[in-house]
Amino acid sequence: MAESEKIDYEPISVREALTEMKDVSEIMIDLAYSAALFNSHELAEEVMELEKRVDYLAYIIDMNTMLAARDAEDAKHLTAVTTVAAATNKISDAAADIASIVLKEIGIHPIVRKAFEQVEERLARTIVKPESILVNKKLGDLELAAKIGVDIIAIRRRQKWLIDPSEKERVVESDVLIVRGAPHGVDELKALAEGKIKELE
Amino acid sequence: MAITEEHFKKIVDKLVFLKDTSELMIDLAYSSLLLNSRSLAEEVEALENHMDNLHTDFELLVLSSGFTPEESKDFLGLIRLGVVTEEIADAAMEIANVVLRGLEPHPILKLVIEEAEETVTRVTVSETSPLVGKKIREAQIQEETGMWVLVIRRGTWWLRPRSDTVIKAGDVLIAAGYAEGEADFEALASGVKEPVKQEG
Repeated sequence: MAESEKIDYEPISVREALTEMKDVSEIMIDLAYSAALFNSHELAEEVMELEKRVDYLAYIIDMNTMLAARDAEDAKHLTAVTTVAAATNKISDAAADIASIVLKEIGIHPIVRKAFEQVEERLARTIVKPESILVNKKLGDLELAAKIGVDIIAIRRRQKWLIDPSEKERVVESDVLIVRGAPHGVDELKALAEGKIKELE
Repeated sequence: MAITEEHFKKIVDKLVFLKDTSELMIDLAYSSLLLNSRSLAEEVEALENHMDNLHTDFELLVLSSGFTPEESKDFLGLIRLGVVTEEIADAAMEIANVVLRGLEPHPILKLVIEEAEETVTRVTVSETSPLVGKKIREAQIQEETGMWVLVIRRGTWWLRPRSDTVIKAGDVLIAAGYAEGEADFEALASGVKEPVKQEG
């Protein structure tokens, strides 16, 4: 999965690409720290997946800004955009660096982990099984935040990422859900996604 | 060789501070860009200098833990985490530099970071302010003014506001919120008058 993919020009606007990059890089940082604290390879792998997306978006932004500059004046204005895009990319690289601490099993001293574990919220990844009751339900109708105190902060659907998915979004079989919430709620959501619990009270 | 619990606590505290500070810098950097605010960009710059010192302190502390060869990997993980917070801080500084260099922020940037009508303001808490001695939770700043505190600068320290952080006279509060709340927020911090309660 580590090979460099050929980048084709795609008509995503700079605005869309940069907005997504900003959102994704922020989620990556949260995921990466969680991966380090819980020594979770799963979360670290998601960070690496997101990193690919950010790299792709960075290329799109580069291409688009080059195409947009018609003269020196344009180029001057666009410099600010490319600088911010590069900085955002750097943030995502930093997240990937944290993830690689986990993936290379360098490890973080257990006592530190213990200190961080007191944090009330945690992040987790779960994959929706076909038998899960979540399948085909709208996020808004599930009311996960109200019922079990868990928020779905991102969904990975094949190669596509839905960051901060809308209430109208329906859960699809084999979606990868990135969730945030109290440890108990997170466990419950995992069980729901895996079809081990069939009821959401 | 035994490493004292106290030593560990110091390491953890420093790491948490580095992590929080780097994240705060990103928030401030984007805000500085959104508002084309030099003063916020300067806060990012000041934090960056502060981070450099802290990071060195952190590394020295980790290296002086007297670990055994078997433990060295765990400590390498700590060093790397510290490096990452520094990378994040650098990225924030690059964003703030767009503002400091006076590069015209492209309209696209505003759209990207936009939360319409939002503003960021910086105030100093006067001795007569009703906020003095109150915890953030009790101060009800957001309820009263619609603005929320992003960061507190106390002398050369930056604090990320937590619900039990006590506000002191002389604190510089940097807050974000809707432009209509700015005057109320300034009045509250300066102690000139009690905030006007808004209906609805």
